[in-house]
Amino acid sequence: MPDLGNRANVMGPQPLGPIKPQPPAMLAAVDAFLAALMAGRKDEALAMTREDVRERVAQIAAAIKPGVYSDAQVLGKARVVEHYFVKARLTGSSAPPFTLQFRIGPEGDRWTVREAVNLTGVRSAWTK
Amino acid sequence: MQRMIPVDKLARPEDHILVPLDKIREARLEQGMTPFNAMPYEEDFLKTRLHGICAGEFQAMEAAGRTLFDFPDAPWEFQLDMARQVWDESRHAEIYLKLLEYVGSYLGEFPESEVLWSCTQVDDPACRVAGINRGLEGLACDVFEQLIRMAQKMGDPVIERAVDYVLADEITHVRMGSKWMRKLTEGDPERLKKAQAFQENIDNLFNFGGGRTSQEDARQIKQRFGEKDVEVDATLTIAREARLLAGFTEEEIDRLIKGMSKSAAY
Repeated sequence: MPDLGNRANVMGPQPLGPIKPQPPAMLAAVDAFLAALMAGRKDEALAMTREDVRERVAQIAAAIKPGVYSDAQVLGKARVVEHYFVKARLTGSSAPPFTLQFRIGPEGDRWTVREAVNLTGVRSAWTK
Repeated sequence: MQRMIPVDKLARPEDHILVPLDKIREARLEQGMTPFNAMPYEEDFLKTRLHGICAGEFQAMEAAGRTLFDFPDAPWEFQLDMARQVWDESRHAEIYLKLLEYVGSYLGEFPESEVLWSCTQVDDPACRVAGINRGLEGLACDVFEQLIRMAQKMGDPVIERAVDYVLADEITHVRMGSKWMRKLTEGDPERLKKAQAFQENIDNLFNFGGGRTSQEDARQIKQRFGEKDVEVDATLTIAREARLLAGFTEEEIDRLIKGMSKSAAY
């Protein structure tokens, strides 16, 4: 939808409340997690992952060849209360894109990954 | 083009987060919330509720369109009704997109679940309209009626009128569902029973663990909307009047309330 400029100057009903900003610490954690996966720093990625999901993240880490991907793009984010589902794509010149989705939530003063799924080659994020 | 599109083939833009309802449930439980939809006492209730409805309108539009396509041998008038419903739902989706913006949200802020689409997974048009038009659109009557009352208490004519406008259509959709469920099963009591059972399954799926009540039995709690404290229902209520207008019988509504309140699904 196009940005219509300064909303206060637009006639008609004004928004009841502001859009909730995404926590900077969450965004930083997402970047760090994706960077660790791309660089093959599996232990670092696992350290950011809750224990019961580590096997799943380890499988995803194993499927990503270190150094092959040079860029990580966050495709979408959606929140459930304070947790965020994040869909991201890793790209590089010598390999087909790798798409993953994970859920990240606050745990004390850090953000941890609570579930993860490899979405490469899957049409939508629907998984069961 | 493929008929009976399965749940995992529901197409969405790449930046869209579509997850099974179970995943949303897990995320809510982990955060100490009720497992189902956002409840009226939650801070983000209005945003989350409007977002869920908006996604629901998109899926309802797709569902009516697929019903039209999936059953080419159905009576022409049936197809016309489904086409009209596609048109209605597309307008509703636009209305809710605007309402999302109005409450400080946007499509995609929350994940979309596939649960409504799962209700299309049946190859009999009588079951399809029983489930979608009577089950899901009946649920929409409940949700919209509650939103309208909430908006009235908030003194917000934008939400009140916009949702009332949509509710009028939903009542028509339920009536269409009742008409076609009966017409398509005329002289075939077994098929009618099957369609009713399919709708009942859907009603059970959306009973939210027995957390729904009649309007009169709904406990009231304080909720803050903008600058205002407003008393709202603590539960998701069943809209008797709207359902009666839509053609549900008193007996059906009573059965629904009874079933809703005694469920041990969770």
